[in-house]
Amino acid sequence: MDPTIKDFESASAELEAIVKKMEEGDLTLEKALELYERGVQLSRFCHARLEEAERRLEILNERGEIRPAHAAMGLTPPDDSGKSR
Amino acid sequence: MSGLFDEPFEDAPLSREEAAPVRPRRRVVSVSEVTTQIRNALESGFDELWIEGEISNCRVWNTGHVYFTLKDSAAQLKGVMFRSAYRYLKFKLEDGLHVVARGRLSVYEPKGEYQLVCEHMEPHGVGALQLAFDQLKGKLQAEGLFAADRKRPIPALPRKIGIVTSLDGAALRDILKVLGRRHPNAHIVIRPVRVQGDGAGDDIARALKALANVTGVEVIIVGRGGGSIEDLWAFNEEALARTIAACPVPVISAVGHEVDVTIADFVADLRAPTPSAAAEMVVTAKEEFCARIDRLHGRLDAAMRGNIQRRRNVLHALTSRRGLAGWHVRVAMQGRHISELTHALRRAASSLVARRSREHQARAVRLESRDVRRSLAAMRARLAAADSRLHVTAGRVQERAAARLTALAGRLDTLSPLAVLARGYAVCWNADRTAIVRRASAVTPGDVVRVTLHEGEIDCEVRSAHGSDN
Repeated sequence: MDPTIKDFESASAELEAIVKKMEEGDLTLEKALELYERGVQLSRFCHARLEEAERRLEILNERGEIRPAHAAMGLTPPDDSGKSR
Repeated sequence: MSGLFDEPFEDAPLSREEAAPVRPRRRVVSVSEVTTQIRNALESGFDELWIEGEISNCRVWNTGHVYFTLKDSAAQLKGVMFRSAYRYLKFKLEDGLHVVARGRLSVYEPKGEYQLVCEHMEPHGVGALQLAFDQLKGKLQAEGLFAADRKRPIPALPRKIGIVTSLDGAALRDILKVLGRRHPNAHIVIRPVRVQGDGAGDDIARALKALANVTGVEVIIVGRGGGSIEDLWAFNEEALARTIAACPVPVISAVGHEVDVTIADFVADLRAPTPSAAAEMVVTAKEEFCARIDRLHGRLDAAMRGNIQRRRNVLHALTSRRGLAGWHVRVAMQGRHISELTHALRRAASSLVARRSREHQARAVRLESRDVRRSLAAMRARLAAADSRLHVTAGRVQERAAARLTALAGRLDTLSPLAVLARGYAVCWNADRTAIVRRASAVTPGDVVRVTLHEGEIDCEVRSAHGSDN
């Protein structure tokens, strides 16, 4: 995604700042549009981050190795168990 | 007894020969010997004893043995509990404790003291575990480990959710069920661990440390299902409590049922009444964030629409008055780009006029009186043409600005959720309009939901809910 957006926390903070600035008014049209486009971009990034987390279930074993849980332990990943009901 | 008093009078005639005591041959024994005999008598004379009393003069030696005095209102009994026995006690011996001690009587020969060699001890009245719980709770509380300002917030969007619990326990099943239903995209890392039995507390502490070191794990749920106080005991151990307090990642404790309270609960950043509730807590944080971003986006749209609307009004006023004087004043408000164009135009126009007038001047001088009127008329015509060209160019610039604004406003409309509403879609909120209802499973019959339409809002009552996951 956009390399100028670092992570969820900074994106939501920047979005908040942009909204405040725009609500305070008196920006030139160019500036307002520029901020608006950035704001929409940030909002999309945040939603994407909220929805696009990797769905994974892993086991950290005694030796400090991380293994996929369903393979290692015969567990069903949470998404499957949720939909079967 | 009276016979003893008769003894000093050795020469006195014995009135009754047969009553005279037979003097035993004098036998001297050492202190050690008699002490040994006393010890043997004591050790064989008493079986194992259960003795109730109050602890005083309690001291733990650096050998690990504990020395104390057991007393009641009328008597005292010295006692010792060797390290080998003391380490199995869950609670700490302290002065004033009312206990029942099990042990045997013996003699400490170097000091000639008899004492109770205690093998086991129970607090009188409360259970040993309850006492140990109270003691540790008091100690950690005094250290400030339960203070509210030590509690860290649970992150809204943990990259990974760590879980420390037993693999085959009900707790893990419950947590995975909730996360699967409400946050199917969660990235979960489980560190399986024994949650009861000897050494379980240390195992859990080690697991917690290992999981906190995994990159991206930003919250850890540690817990187990319900059980007796003995089953839950690992979560009352000091080592685990200190590990939770020192954990670099926020910890949610989720031990047993709502009524089960452990030391781990006090020291954790958040206490969940049950494992399922712990999972709900992680998910709720995410949903709150979702709603916050939605609100911000809504405000962003509103601010942009306001800005555009103000400019539309200005533009409207501008197009309805074509006068050049009013024109450049208003265009100056449209932004630097356009005002710069205006400037350039005006400069070009005036320098054109100036150049033409200089040429005119020169010709006028050269021509003197020769056909002055015709030359002047030609000059006037050329000036008029230049003036009308200026008009046309200015009009074109203005039209371009208007077209650009319309295009941008159109783009804004397609981005706005309000445009979607105008097409007939509606947004369904919960009753207090703090969260959007995305799934039928989020409401139950009887719930009130609020529906936002293109124009206005309506409150609705849910009659029934049919979801894809029901």
